Amino acid sequence: MATPTTAQVARLSAEEAGYLTAGPGRAAETVLARLIDVGAVRVSRDGHVTAVLQHDYQATTSVEARILSYARTPVQFDTIVRSTANCTEMAALHQYLRDRGLVQRPRRGNPVWGLYLAVAFLLVLLSFSAPVVLLGVPVAVAIALWQRGRKAVTAAGKEALRQVTATDRVHAVALHGFCGKINGRPVGELFDLSQSIVRMLPLKQSRKRRSSSDSAGGCGSSCSSCGSGCGSSSCASSSSCSSSGSSCSSGSSCGSGCGGGGGGD
Amino acid sequence: MAGITDLGVGIGWRSEIDLTVERLPGVDFVEVVAENLHIGHLPESVTLLLERGVPVLPHAVSLSLGGADPVDLHRVEHLGKIAEAVGAPMVSDHVCFVRAGGLDSGHLMPVPRTKDALDVLVANVKLAQENLPVPLALENVAALLEWPDGELTEGQFLAELVERTDCWLLVDVANLYANARNIGTDPERFLDEIPLERLAYVHVAGGEQHGDVYHDTHAHAVLPEVLGVLDELCSRVRPPGVLLERDDNYPSDTEIASELAAIRAVVDKYRD
Repeated sequence: MATPTTAQVARLSAEEAGYLTAGPGRAAETVLARLIDVGAVRVSRDGHVTAVLQHDYQATTSVEARILSYARTPVQFDTIVRSTANCTEMAALHQYLRDRGLVQRPRRGNPVWGLYLAVAFLLVLLSFSAPVVLLGVPVAVAIALWQRGRKAVTAAGKEALRQVTATDRVHAVALHGFCGKINGRPVGELFDLSQSIVRMLPLKQSRKRRSSSDSAGGCGSSCSSCGSGCGSSSCASSSSCSSSGSSCSSGSSCGSGCGGGGGGD
Repeated sequence: MAGITDLGVGIGWRSEIDLTVERLPGVDFVEVVAENLHIGHLPESVTLLLERGVPVLPHAVSLSLGGADPVDLHRVEHLGKIAEAVGAPMVSDHVCFVRAGGLDSGHLMPVPRTKDALDVLVANVKLAQENLPVPLALENVAALLEWPDGELTEGQFLAELVERTDCWLLVDVANLYANARNIGTDPERFLDEIPLERLAYVHVAGGEQHGDVYHDTHAHAVLPEVLGVLDELCSRVRPPGVLLERDDNYPSDTEIASELAAIRAVVDKYRD
């Protein structure tokens, strides 16, 4: 697939960027962050999220509306994020991103790789009677690995994500999560959220840890660590880390690159 | 009663709005629902407010002092311990019953205003007072009905209660307004009949009309008419404190602040 030009790069809303960065949980965090930002919900010291009674605020997305609906009565911070990540509106967002070619079928949800692995196994068995079929084994294994290793975020999605920067605290959540850091400062602090609250977030641990450690230990400290943290998928190889120079400390380009590697649903 | 002569303007502390309460300008004191707090494990926000020197007054909802059942001294003890934990100069509950025959109504039920019912209430209040470390104030409730065969007006009933128990009064002007709307109580007569010198502080809250009934919801804006009753009270006596109660559908910080400002404006209107 050809690398899209700048003019062709999709523009992402904060929640879309959150989704591409670390999946539906991050998108849910991002929408929650926006609602806190506009004063549509408040979070108490013990982590209860409650909708603020407002007569003049209308939800701007269906996911926002869902969170406001959940928060009519106090809901624990982690519960509302988890519920939102699994709601039908989030599935619709996923479908919307798929329709735009920004995400694709998740790698482990694609059963084709298993089929190729089965073929490889079958060829090994057949090779006892006809050794020549052994030649097909590496081909089948290679195809299986290729299928299994398919990224959830497409090249177009990664490219779109590279354009996103943490220009405000909502985007900081999209790129780093409430648990992450930006300029060495916990993102949760930008919302006056204590660490005890943001640590409630369960999300998908492998993805979350990878993402938050990227932004905490990587982007917050040095560009090189960001690169190593993200692997070679995007951050280390992308020009965003080096071209921005200090962009690692701002977290934006590293966040997008790292997240692109960990994205999915 | 030392320490509560000038509480100022306050708000009911609720965990959902703890940070809002901490941030709001001009919160002179707060009230906590005693049943929601645990001894030895005060909410961080309450501790913070105490450290700032903000008085914290425990308010109970479950003593059921107007009930015929024996007073539950465990509940009284809990209230007293909360008062000690927050260094409160006083505690409060309602002139009501919430339990009878082993059932809990979940509501603050009005007491029949008869001499017999008053005797029961007085005995229960005295028992509670004996087991509390600080003075007790009692609040008038909002009622959707009046028991038959009442012998006293609400004001007379409370005046006699004060006289016989030396308790303090917590006057809820929103409840007065609700009773005026729903059962025709005259707020001015009420204020004429109660001993205002025993006024501890005042509650203000919002409500909403549903059909023919006004509900004291604590979840809607304070009506100008409720502030009018507060104005009437302030024209007669300077209340030691006035407190905004909000228990649900919490509005923005700005809106809460403006409600507090409106209350303060009424109180200040009659200041020297």
